[in-house]
Amino acid sequence: MKQTPLEEKIAARMQPGVITLSGFLGLDERHYHEIIEADESVMVAYGVSAEEIADRLEYFTTSTYESFQGPVIIDDIYEVETEITRGKLPCPFSHPGLYRKTITTLTNLNTGVTLRWTGLNIHLIRAHHFFEGKGSVFRLDPDLLIKNIF
Amino acid sequence: MLLQIISDIGASAAISIFLALILVFAQKYLNTYGDCVVDINNKKQITVKGGNSLLNTLNDQQIYLASACGGRGSCGACKCKVAEGGGPLLPTEKPLLSPKEQQDNIRLACQVKVKSDIKIHIPESIFNIRKFVSVVESITDLTYDIKAVVFRLKEPAKIDFKAGQYVQLETKPYGKIKQTTVRAYSISSKPEDDTLVELIIRLVPEGICTTWVHNFLQVGEEVNLTGPFGDFYIRDTQADMIFIAGGSGKAPIKSMLQHLQVVGTNRKMTYFFGARTEKDLYLTELFKGFEHVFPDFQYIPVLSKCDDAGLYCARSGYIMPYIKEVLRDPQNTEAYMCGSPGMLEACRKELRNLGVPDNKIYFDSFG
Amino acid sequence: MHISPFILFWAAIFTSNVLLTNFLGMCSYLSVSREMESSFGLGIAVVFVLTITCALNWLVYYYLLVPLHIVYLQYIIFIIVIAASVQLLELIIERFTPTLYYTLGIFLPLITVNCAIFGVALFMIIRQYNFLQTIAYATGSGIGWMLAILMLAGIRTRIKDKMIPAGLVGPGISLIVTGIMALAFVGFSGIVNVQ
Repeated sequence: MKQTPLEEKIAARMQPGVITLSGFLGLDERHYHEIIEADESVMVAYGVSAEEIADRLEYFTTSTYESFQGPVIIDDIYEVETEITRGKLPCPFSHPGLYRKTITTLTNLNTGVTLRWTGLNIHLIRAHHFFEGKGSVFRLDPDLLIKNIF
Repeated sequence: MLLQIISDIGASAAISIFLALILVFAQKYLNTYGDCVVDINNKKQITVKGGNSLLNTLNDQQIYLASACGGRGSCGACKCKVAEGGGPLLPTEKPLLSPKEQQDNIRLACQVKVKSDIKIHIPESIFNIRKFVSVVESITDLTYDIKAVVFRLKEPAKIDFKAGQYVQLETKPYGKIKQTTVRAYSISSKPEDDTLVELIIRLVPEGICTTWVHNFLQVGEEVNLTGPFGDFYIRDTQADMIFIAGGSGKAPIKSMLQHLQVVGTNRKMTYFFGARTEKDLYLTELFKGFEHVFPDFQYIPVLSKCDDAGLYCARSGYIMPYIKEVLRDPQNTEAYMCGSPGMLEACRKELRNLGVPDNKIYFDSFG
Repeated sequence: MHISPFILFWAAIFTSNVLLTNFLGMCSYLSVSREMESSFGLGIAVVFVLTITCALNWLVYYYLLVPLHIVYLQYIIFIIVIAASVQLLELIIERFTPTLYYTLGIFLPLITVNCAIFGVALFMIIRQYNFLQTIAYATGSGIGWMLAILMLAGIRTRIKDKMIPAGLVGPGISLIVTGIMALAFVGFSGIVNVQ
C-alpha cells in the first residue's frame, strides 16, 4: 500500500525508541491502519464507541488522582491505582500537545482481570481509535477492555 | 578566449588582493588594543584580545548570549549590563533600550567593542550553563528501582550550580533504539563537590532514558551532560524550612541538605519523605544522620503501606496531616517540594490552608 | 553630458532622490528611522561613504577596468571596493577620533551593503558622468537620502503614540508614509530636468 509522507512519519514515530522504549506496534506486522480497522469492528460488534471507552478510562484515572499513594476501590468492584512519573509524551499521530506519563492499573475484582493504560492510551483511543499493536507493552485489547470496564 | 578569461580573473583577483592587503595592514597597525580583561559578574576574569565586539568575545569563551540578528544591532536580544569600560551609549543601541535600561547601563553586546578592561554582568544562569563531557564513576543500587550514578566531569572539569538545580543527560543509541534522547535529572550531590555530578534515577516503566541508565550504562562510559538549569534552590533567609519529597524526589533535597551541612545553619528544618513501603526507603541513615548535624532537623518518612512491625510506622498514610505538627510560624516558613504532581498539589493545598504564603512554596514538579 | 555639477547636485537631492524615486537603501532606512538622532548619524555616514566610494569607484572604473577590458566585472569589483573602503574608513575613524566614531563610525558597517551606495555607483557609470559630476551627484544623493530618512524619522516620532491600525504598526505605516513622501517629491520634478 502506498503511503502519504504523513503516514510514513506516523509509522516511523511508532517505532521503538522514538517516543517510547518499545514503540506502539509491538510484534504486530500489520499496518496501523489495519490494526485500527480490526479494533473498530470489535467495538461495532459490542455497540460501544471509542469515545465511551476513553471516557470510562479517563473516569478511572481521574478518580485515582486524589489518592496518589496506593489503590482506591471504585464502584465496589474496581481496584484502581495510578502512578505518575516525570515527563510527558507526544502523540505519534503528530497531534499537538503532550500527555503526562501516568500509568493506571485496574483490577476487576469480579473477573480478576488486570488492565493498565497510560494517559497517552486514552488520547489514542479517543482521537485515533488506536489500541496499539499486538504484543505492545500498552496494547489494550478492545474485547478484553469492554468486557471488564463497563 | 581562455587566456582572456584567465587574465580577467587575474586582474580582478589582483584588485581584491590589493584591497585585502591594505585591510590586513590597517588591522595590524590600527586595531591594536592589546589584551583586555573581561570581568564577568565579579566572579570570573578572562583575558581576551581587544578589538572585537563583546558578543563575539563572549562567544569565543563559550558564553552564549542570545542573538537573533547575528550582531547587526537590530534584534536587541543580546542585552547585558556593562558596569565599566563600555564607552558611551551608541546611537545604534538607543532605539532598542528603554530609558530604564539605559539608566541601568544595559547595553547591546553586539555593539559594544572590547577596547579596554571591561566589567559586565550577565544572568548567572547563562554564565554557568555548559556542556560537560563526563565519565561514569560509579553506579549504586539504592532500592530495587532506584540507582545513584556518579559522573566525574572531564571537560570542563568543574561545574558551578546551586543545590536543587538539574542537568540534562544525553543517552546514546542502544538496543533497538537508534537515536539519542535528552532527559533532565536533579543533581543530588552538593555544589561544593564541583568536579562531579551525582544523579538519582528511578526506573520508569518503558522510559527510554531510565532504561538505558539502569540496564545499559557501564562504569567508565563517557556521557554528555548539559546544565545547570532550574530555579528550585534554597532561598537565603532565616525562615523555617519544610522539605517534602516522594520517589526519586529526594535528589535535590539531598543536595540542599549536604550544602547546608557545609555552610552551616540554625534554621528549623523538617523533611517529609513519602513512600509506599519500607523497601522504597533509601539513604535513610544519611538523612537520619542529619538530625545530629543540624541543631533543629527532623527526618520523617511517611509510608502509605505499612505492616505493623515496620520501623517507620509511627506515621503512615499521607503526608498532609503531619505537616501541622511541625509548623511553628506559617508566615515565616518556606516549603521545598519535589515529587509527583498529585502529591505536590495535595501538600500545597494543605500548606496554604495552614497559612504558608504561596510565594514561599517552591517546587520541582515532575509534570 | 554637459550638465553643470551644481545642477546635478540639486537634482540628486530633490528631483531624482535616490530613496524616494528609486527606492534604494530601504532596509536601513526603515530600521534606523525610529529616532531623529540615529537617523542623523546614519544620514551623515551615507553622505560620507557615498562621496568617497563613488570617487574611488570612478577612478577604479576608468583607470583600471576600462584599460584592462574587464568592465563587465564592474558589479563584483564595485562591491569589493565599497566593502574594503568602508572597513578601512571605520578602522581609521575608530583609532584616531573616538568622538567621531561614536556619532558616525558605528553606522558604517550597517551601510556597507546598502543598495543606495551601490546603486549610485552604477548610475554614475550608466549616465557617463565625469569625475566632478560624480562627486556632485554622489554627495547630492547622500544628502537626499539623509533628507528622506530625517523626514521619516520626524514623522515616525510624531505618530509613535497615535492610534495606528494594528496590522500597520511598524514597517507597514512607514512604507505608506514613504509612498506619500515620494508622491510629494514628484512635485519637484518640474524644477530641473536632468538625471
